[in-house]
This record gives sequence, C-alpha cells and structure tokens, in this order.
Amino acid sequence: MRPNSNQLLARGNVRTARGMAPDRSDLLQGTLDMLILKVLAAGPLHGYAIAQRIGAISRALFQVPQGSLYPALHRLENRQFLAATWARTESGRDAKVYRLTPKGRRHLQQEVADWQRLAEAIQLILQTT
Amino acid sequence: MRWFMRLIRRERLERELDREIEFHVEAEIARLVEEGMTPLEARRRALAAFGGLEPIRERARDARGTRWVEQIWQDLRYAARVLRRSPGFALAAIASLAIGIGANIALFTVADALLLRPLPVDRPEQLVSLNRVGGGELFSHPAFLKFQRAVPIARFTAGSSTARTQISIGGQTELVIGQLVTGDWFDVLGVQAAAGRVLTVGDTRELGGTAIVVLSHEFWRRRFASDPAVIGTTVVVNKVPMTIAGVAAPGFSGLSVGNRVDLWLPVTMQAEVRYYTNSWTENADPRKPWLPQEGIAFLNVLARLPDEASRAAAPAQMAQVHQQSVEAQAKALLDPAQRDQRLRERLELVPAWRGNSLVRESYTEPLRVLMITTALVLLIGCANLASLVLARGSARAREFSLRLALGAGRGRIVRQLLTESLLLATVGGAVAIVVARWAASGLLRLASSTATPIPLDLPFDGRIMLFALAISVLTGVAFGLMPALQLSRAGATDGLKTGGRVTSASGRDVRVPFGRVLIVAQVTLALTLLVGAVAFVRTFNNLLTLHTGFEREHVVAARFEPRLAGFGKEQWPALAERLLSEARGVPGVRSASIAVNGALTGATRLSGGIVVEGQPSRVGPEWSLREEMIGLDYFETLGIPVLRGRAFRSTDVDGAPKVAVISEAMAKRFFGDVDPLGKRFGYGTPPEVEVVGIVRDAKVDGPRRVVPNIAYYPLLQNPDDLANNLYVRVSTSPEAVKPTLLAALSRAEPSLAIREVVTLAELTGRTVTRERLMSQLTSAFGLLAVAVAALGLYATISYSVARRTNELGVRLALGASPASVRWLVLRETLLVVGAGCVTGLILSVVALRYVGTLLFGLTPNDPTTLAAATVTLLTISLLAAIIPAVRAARTDPIRALRAE
Repeated sequence: MRPNSNQLLARGNVRTARGMAPDRSDLLQGTLDMLILKVLAAGPLHGYAIAQRIGAISRALFQVPQGSLYPALHRLENRQFLAATWARTESGRDAKVYRLTPKGRRHLQQEVADWQRLAEAIQLILQTT
Repeated sequence: MRWFMRLIRRERLERELDREIEFHVEAEIARLVEEGMTPLEARRRALAAFGGLEPIRERARDARGTRWVEQIWQDLRYAARVLRRSPGFALAAIASLAIGIGANIALFTVADALLLRPLPVDRPEQLVSLNRVGGGELFSHPAFLKFQRAVPIARFTAGSSTARTQISIGGQTELVIGQLVTGDWFDVLGVQAAAGRVLTVGDTRELGGTAIVVLSHEFWRRRFASDPAVIGTTVVVNKVPMTIAGVAAPGFSGLSVGNRVDLWLPVTMQAEVRYYTNSWTENADPRKPWLPQEGIAFLNVLARLPDEASRAAAPAQMAQVHQQSVEAQAKALLDPAQRDQRLRERLELVPAWRGNSLVRESYTEPLRVLMITTALVLLIGCANLASLVLARGSARAREFSLRLALGAGRGRIVRQLLTESLLLATVGGAVAIVVARWAASGLLRLASSTATPIPLDLPFDGRIMLFALAISVLTGVAFGLMPALQLSRAGATDGLKTGGRVTSASGRDVRVPFGRVLIVAQVTLALTLLVGAVAFVRTFNNLLTLHTGFEREHVVAARFEPRLAGFGKEQWPALAERLLSEARGVPGVRSASIAVNGALTGATRLSGGIVVEGQPSRVGPEWSLREEMIGLDYFETLGIPVLRGRAFRSTDVDGAPKVAVISEAMAKRFFGDVDPLGKRFGYGTPPEVEVVGIVRDAKVDGPRRVVPNIAYYPLLQNPDDLANNLYVRVSTSPEAVKPTLLAALSRAEPSLAIREVVTLAELTGRTVTRERLMSQLTSAFGLLAVAVAALGLYATISYSVARRTNELGVRLALGASPASVRWLVLRETLLVVGAGCVTGLILSVVALRYVGTLLFGLTPNDPTTLAAATVTLLTISLLAAIIPAVRAARTDPIRALRAE
C-alpha cells in the first residue's frame, strides 16, 4: 500500500506536469473536435474508425494524435454533442460507437461557419499583403 | 445531476475507457499485421502511437468533468481515515458538536414555531386585528356589526377569548378549550372543513342560534380517533346538547399560537353555553345575553383587507366608525374625567399574520436570550475544537511539511483540513437533529406551567433542515478554517527539522499566541454565560422566597367550576355548605374557605371608575381595583393577617349593609392619610360599600406582579357569584390531605368535576415558570460552557508544558526550584484567564443590561452576581491548570535533555 500523502501528491502533481509541457494536441483541440463531429455527421463510427477516417480524408496530411482522440471523444460526449452505445463490430468484438446528437449537429454547423469565416479572413489577409 | 450519475458510475466509465483503448490498439495491430509487420513489432508500434496509456486515462477523466467531485470524495475518504485513526478525538468532537448544534436547532425550532411562522390560514398577510388604544382589544357584538355594515371593502370576523369548556361525550366529561366565533369566522380566515361542514353566516343569525359545534382536527384525532361517523352526533357542551357539524382543516387550531382551540361554538350561543370568561363591561348587565348589549365587549375583531383599495381606504373608514361609537359611549358617562379618558381612545390595526399569543408575549425575550446563549455555547465549543485541531495539527506538522515539500499547494492542505472539520461538523449536525427533536419538545414541557407541555406544533421540515445544514457548515468552517490556515502556513522545512522539536517559546512560533487568543475568548464567553446563569438563578430564588403575604406550604386549593357543571345561584348556597362541611371534616384540616377568583389562578376581576367618599373621582389603570368575593374564614385559612377592623361575619348577608375589607395598598392609594375604617366607596354615587377592615397586602397574582389593590367582598352578600376555589389550611402534611380532600369533595357533589387539588406553593411555582426555565437552562449552559472552557484550558496548558519539556528541564537542571516552575505555568494560566475575566466582565455587564427586564430583585451590574461568577470561573480554571503545573515541576531534567 502506498503512503497516503504520496497518493495525494501524485494526484496533485498531474496538473502541474501538464502545465509545464503543453500538449501539442492542445493547439488543435478545437480543430480536432470539429473534425470528429464532421466525420460522424456521415454516420456512427467507433473510435478507431474515426481516427482512420480522419487520416484517410485528410490524405494522411493530418495525423490524428491518438493520445488526444479519446479525451476529445469523452469531452464531446460529456457536452452531449455525441451519444455512445456499445455495439458488435464485423470482427466480432464490442466497440463503443459514437453518433452525432442533434445538439452536436447544430454545434458542427456553427463551428464550420466560424471556421470558414476565419479561413476567408486569413485568405484575404494573405492575398493583400 | 449528470455529474453525480457519472460519479457513481465512475468504475464503469473507467472500465469502458480501458476496453475502448484495448479495442483501438488491437485494431491497429491487426492493420499493421495485415501490412506485413510481425505481431510483436505491430504491438510495439501501436502502443507507441498512443504514447503512454496513463496520461490518456487521466485526461479522459478530466474530460468527464467530475474531477472536482472525485477530489472531494477522495478528501472525504482521507478525512474519514484520519479521524478513524483517532476515534477518541472524533467521538469527543462529534458529541460536543451534537450537543452544541442540537441546542441551537432545538431553540430555532421552537422560536420558529412561536415567532416566525404565519398562521395556517388563507393569505395571512391580509389579516389585521383591531385594537383600541387605551381601551383594550375587546369589542362588543353591536360594535362588530357596525364595522361590518359601514366598511364593506374589508371583511370582518370576530371570536371570543378562549375558555375552558366542559364537554360530555357518552357520559364522559372532560375540560377542553372552546371559543365563540361569528358565523363568517372560517370563511373570512379561509379555513375549509376537513369533514362535515364549518360554521356559516346562517348559523349565527339568531340569538340562541344553531346548536352546533365545529371540532379542531387535532381534537377530532385525539378524542374521536378521526372517526367521520361522529359528525352529526350530539355532545353535551356546558350542559347544552349540541350537534357536531364538522371538523376544521388540519393544522388550524385558532389564532392564538401555543393555546389550542378544541372546539368552536356559534357566538349566538353565549348565554346558553354560559360563556362568561373574558369581558369588559360598562353600563350593562352581564347576566343577560351579551350579544345585543353594547356595553359588553368580549370579542376580538379581525379584518381581512383583500386588495390594494381596501388597504388604502378601509383603515380610515374603520377609525371613523370607531370614533362615532366612542363619542356616543362617552356621552353616556357622567363623570367628566372618565369621559375625557374615553374620548382619547383610538383605533389601531395590528398585523395578524402570526395571530396573537400570550405564550409568544412572555417567551419572545427569553427565547432570544436562550438563542444567544446556545450560540455562545456553540462558539465556545468551536474555539475549543479549534484549539484541539490546532494541537493535533502541530502533531501532524511533519505530514504537512512533507506534503508541502513534495509540491502540494497550500490550498490543497487547507482544503484537506477543512474537509476534516466539515466532516466532523456534518456528522455532529446529523446527530444534533435527533438531539434537537428531543430537546425541543423537552423545552415546551419546561416552559409549560402545568404538567402538559405547551401545545405547539414543531414541524420538522425544509426550514429546520436548512437551518441545521447551515449551522453545521458554519460551525465546521468556524473551528476548521483558522487552524487550517495557521497550520498550512508552516514552511516546507520547519516540520522536517529534528522531528519538529520546539526549542523555545521565543515568539517566532505563531501558533502559541493564536491558541491563547482562543482561550481568552472561551474564558470571556464562559464567564458571561456564568454571570447570566447566576443572575437567573438568583432571580428565580428571589421570586420564590419573596414574601407574598399569605401562607403557601400549608394551604391546599381545590379548583372547580360549578357554573359549567350546571349550578346556578339558587343551588349554590347549599352546594357551598356541603363542600365546606365535607372539607372541614378531612383529618388535618384546621379551617376551610372559598373564593371566586382566589390566589394565583390567573383569574382576576378588575374594576375602574371607583368613587370614594370625600375624594375627587379619578380614572386610569392605576386607579382600578381587584375584586375578590370570599367566604368566611378566608383570611384565617390563607394566613392573611387582619390589621385593623374585622373580617366578615355570618351576618354580612344579602340585604344587610354592604361591607368590604380592603388591602393595605388599596387603603393607601384610595384613602391616603384618611382612616378608611367606616368610610364608604363604590361604583356609583353615593358610594354604598363600607370599609369594615384592613388586611395585609397579598401578592395574589404572583410574586412578579405589583402589589394589587384588593377589595374583598363577602360571597354571602353577592349571591350572583359562584366560588371556583376552595381552600383548606392544614396542620399536617399537605400531601396527605390532598387525596382525602379530593375524595371528600367528590362525595359532597359527584357531578362537580374537580379540576385539580394543589398547594398554593405549587401554584406560586407556576407563576414563575418562565424564570424557572431560564434559571435551569442558563445554568445548564453556563456550567457546560465553563466545563468546556476548563477542558480547553487544561488541554492548552498541558500541551504548552509538553512542548516546553526541554526548556523546563534546562531550568530545573540549572537550579530552578519546582515551586518556581509550577509558578511559571500557573502564571501563564492566570494571565490568560485574567485577560478573559476582564473582557468577560465587561461583556457581562452589557449583556445583563440587555436582559434586565427578565431579572428580579437584582440590578444589571449586581456586584454579588459578578463576583460569584468570577470566583467560580477562576477556581475551576486554576484547578484545570494545577495538574499540568505539577507535572511540569516534576520534569526530570536528565530525561528532558536526553529527549533532544
């Protein structure tokens, strides 16, 4: 058994550790969320398939950081943009399948619109200078 | 509540995440193997892409948004574990918190029920009660009708005072509380029928009215076991057969909180049911039905002002109506002084959402004092617990330092310590709720002047729960926050150095002064409570030992109500004779007599407008008389000495010259320097009652009241009055006489219900119930406070001695005598306690001034009280400090130095 104080400290330190070494995926967090929603807009998928699909669609230009995928999925589920059920795959294994909720769909539209406005603006700036 | 669901599903979520990741990794391995990789290499690559599973799990947990709850949960589990490791501390803390918080909840429960709750009627805030400033709160029935007719924008209803009522159900007779009400009573108050029907306007249209009663829900439940079949059956109320029409809605028991009405009768039945309880009579005949008479005021009038328009206009209209009645009545008064006084009377509207309550009037102030007292006791308990937590915390200094050194934030440690305190406080609070339920009903029993507790609903609902929760959390923060901040201030290295040894009390260490501040605070509050306790105990004693002017131990009173038992003036003389002769025959009885209102019964008859031969006429409450109709031997039986003249004789009968015996106070007030013997006074001109004797003053209303001006009249000369009290003077033990007297009276007249047989000493005790309650409770709390403070002092001094073992050892080794070491410790105690006493005395004087009206026979800065309390506290404090002082002097220098 570990001493109690150490256990508390171990937990206490997690935040600090993350704070000191910012995750690369943080930069992409908003983007990753949007990509997940976009992929799921076509239909329900499990986590692995989502990663594959994003990689495939972006022609492997955009490698999904696998360490970030699951926290992102849970975060989106938590915000009720996604709903999840356990289902059997073709390979005969149970997988957690995510599906877009109506709320998630609205959020995606909003995100896409925002993103396009931002992209246009950047495009404009890049053209004029 | 989603976070809560996720919290309790935590284990499952963790498992699901693992399965999800496992699935991902295996799918990836399968893909890589398909691409031609060896399974081993594929596994390595797949896992590498994830970059470590634990951080992902950690971040997924964060993403769930339940992190804070999980941390609190963990803090709680850790706190529980810490407390389990020191069960003695935990139990002591929980027990003291349960008592401290419980006392507060109990008082809040009672205060809430008595002072804060609105009446259980429809929109109580619209109700006002009418009050005649300078004329009491009673109105005649014609006056009530006048309001109803002249002010249609308000809705009026009226009820009499509550009265003891005799009800016979199937041959069984008991005394209950009844009230006469007008037919619109339930309609205006918005109280529905729970069964059958309530009174309606039609029931009180005709004098002699419909013979029906409405039961209160509580009485229906208590007496009839909520049997709906009793509706429509007949019961006998004060000898009149009446039909039970229905039951009022549950919870409604009249407008007087703490005085339950059991049944309501139509006001038109006043003469039939012999209601003669509380009235104010002027130019009227109380023997005729009261309803049509303008001169008999016996109703409390209520008005409902249902809307903005009526609130704006109705008060002025009512005042005008009242003004007209006053002017009309004043015209009928012959005496100019009385007329002037009547014309000064005006109408006042009093918000009636809480109803009116005699219990509230006499207990508002005591409850406030007791609430402050219990709050202070809890505060002392908090200070005590704070020092304990601090002392324990110092022992845990190593743990905290270690955690700080390993990178835990200070906030984290404060949070952990606060969690421990709050856990203790919440558990204590939960136990306290149980304590409070028990204590609150005990309080009602203590506050009641009779054997039955004050009837007051003590609901246990959200309000009480909220109060309990709030006070528990507050308590937890109060005793946990300061120590937590103090302890977490310690540097990361302090506690790790040489095992946390303290080498000197040089002042670098901040903990000692804070601990002392706590002790000074405890002593201050404890002294204040002790002073309060001494003051209330002395008040109670002063009242009980006060000479009331009559014998109390050896006089037994039997109380009954012949009128309610159906006796009239015709049967009365024979009944009185039977009762008296049976009473005289009881062994141990020296003499026996009777009286209408008697001593210490709460019943009085006051008269104003007294005319005295050869004196100008005077008005005002100080010129009123207390009338008492008595039998022969009354003064002898009660031990009231006749100072001059004579007592009544058997020749003072109806038709003979009217005579009176007056009290010293009355002689002084009404006759001044003139010798009253042989002079006349009375209620009309010319005055016709001759003063034949003067007796010593008797405080028949109780020791707290002012000495009344009493005029005694012979019952034989006033045949309309029936005595309600029989007194016997005993030469043996009164306890032995009581049962034989009761049996003798029942033998004399079996149909006369005897309410009780008690000594005058017992009746005196009832008049000082409030003071008894205050003295018992404040002394209990005062002693508790002192005990808690003494314990705190003992713990703190012991702790300080233990910390200074080293220093004391050095002193002893260098040749200090044990006596000087003892003095060193005692001096520390005296300093702290002395400081507390000074602040405590200042606070006490202020506090006693605040409760001044509740005291009797002592001034707010009574030196004896202050000195007694201070000496007690000092003695107990020194006793608490002597043990550690002796222990300090016994310190073995060798061992103390080796302990390094």
